[in-house]
Amino acid sequence: MPFLQFKNVDFSYPSGEDDYIQALYSVDLTIERGEFVALVGCNGSGKSTFARLSNGLLLPDRGDVCVDGCSTADKSALYEIRKKIGVVFQNPDNQMVTTIVEDDVAFGPENLGLAPAEIRERVDWALDCVGMREYATSGPQRLSGGQKQRVAIAGVLAIRPELMILDEATGMLDPDGRREVMEVVARLNEKENMTVVMITHFMEEAAVADRIVILDKGKVAADGGKELFLTPDVFTSAGLDLPMPVRVSGALKNRGIDIGCPLTVEELVAAYCKRLSGGGGEA
Amino acid sequence: MISVRKLSYIYSPKTPFAKQALSEVDMEIEDGDFFGIIGSTGAGKSTLIGHINALTRVQKNSGTVIVDDVDLSVKKIDFKKLRAKVGMVFQYPEHQLFDDTVLKDVMFGPKNLGLNADEQKDRAKKAIELVGLNFDEFAERSPFELSGGQKRRVALAGVIAMQPSVLILDEPTAGLDPVGKRDIMELVLRIKEVCPTVVMISHNMDEIACYCNKIAVMSKGKCVGVFSPRELFGCKELIEKSGVGLPLVTQAAAMLNAAGVDIDPAILTENELVDALVKAAGNA
Repeated sequence: MPFLQFKNVDFSYPSGEDDYIQALYSVDLTIERGEFVALVGCNGSGKSTFARLSNGLLLPDRGDVCVDGCSTADKSALYEIRKKIGVVFQNPDNQMVTTIVEDDVAFGPENLGLAPAEIRERVDWALDCVGMREYATSGPQRLSGGQKQRVAIAGVLAIRPELMILDEATGMLDPDGRREVMEVVARLNEKENMTVVMITHFMEEAAVADRIVILDKGKVAADGGKELFLTPDVFTSAGLDLPMPVRVSGALKNRGIDIGCPLTVEELVAAYCKRLSGGGGEA
Repeated sequence: MISVRKLSYIYSPKTPFAKQALSEVDMEIEDGDFFGIIGSTGAGKSTLIGHINALTRVQKNSGTVIVDDVDLSVKKIDFKKLRAKVGMVFQYPEHQLFDDTVLKDVMFGPKNLGLNADEQKDRAKKAIELVGLNFDEFAERSPFELSGGQKRRVALAGVIAMQPSVLILDEPTAGLDPVGKRDIMELVLRIKEVCPTVVMISHNMDEIACYCNKIAVMSKGKCVGVFSPRELFGCKELIEKSGVGLPLVTQAAAMLNAAGVDIDPAILTENELVDALVKAAGNA
């Protein structure tokens, strides 16, 4: 059974008196346990609507959203669904509810009504996961953006969700902060087998995921593995950029130097050096 | 010209929470500069630009800030003159829209300059068109029903309607998709034709390398120095010291150089990188 399933989902927001803006059109999408999916698309493509439909913050106009076999339209299942899906939003400052880091992380488990010892254990584990244990008793106002966002992730982790959705969670961070968050997310996926949906328009981040889903004007425009980067058109026609290494290798190919399709700077350097040291071809 | 001399600033001075945000910063921004300010979170960038607009006041015996002929280190600042000179665009400026029509929102600044109604409207119209919105189509619409990118344009128009000669931008492209980022930066270049001096804080090193002619590096409240893009991104020690990253293309060039490829490590644009790689392959 797929973990998260969108079946033919339409959704629209009211706009003015009796006008509507449609955000999603017949979206069919299935996400299995353990996947690391990047959901990309430009502003207004429906990415955040997808996140809010996933855990029942919004309900579809048509079609069905199922989590672990339960529909989000079933009110009695919502509590369980929200335990299974954690969402980290863009602005870390809007997600802090207390004045001490560990209290903030404990907020979720406390609301699950867990025993104090269990809460303690989960808070420590979650802070360890994001490398913030030493800041447990600090005030959030003394943390950097990247650190705050890691605490927000810990707060979600402490509920022990099976799927974590990061809705442009690195959008407001500086390059260091972005790297910190990406490392934590990749580790969670790998070591804890956490299912991850990373909503982003940083293509360099999307290139890290195993699977890339492109949303364009509320529709799924493409869905596939890293091989999607071999067909640049699917990105550009959705108003997206390609990762820099893909653009550079494309330009090199046009000028007679084929180094394949590297997705990261490291791969670009390795592929080019390999080509120089006798990868064949003209020179 | 903006001249910052020996500027220091302490948050919550004389309390247990006292925090030195700036220490003895020296900086000179000349007319016509596209001046970048970079540095990791907490380096003092925002405190510094707050001083240029006198939102943060120079503390006693803590240096001077002078914008053209307006001294911001004195007790009685000529605010009217300053506000007409320096336009400030905060992060996520669309959150500052407040009026019920685009025209009224953009007119708010000129109105507070004490201009007459015709002049107010005239300035608003020019500003709205400069940011690429059709005046007749947008003037009477509510700013709140526009798209994110349009809202940001209206917010920029509100600042431009003051006809400042210095524009300060704090992370102007944060949160936008790649196309939106490019649109806003092109717009900033267009604005620069009428407002010659632009000061921009950004974490996006690709943008900094692409648009700025001078870049101030801030680290722990100090100004490490002011550099040209090539000086800065070509100097590994400087980059490491300041805790900022390299533009991606520069990263690639530096790694290639380290791997023994005959390539300048201080490459700043993609075209330069591609050209250099083609050349290096030809020489190999």
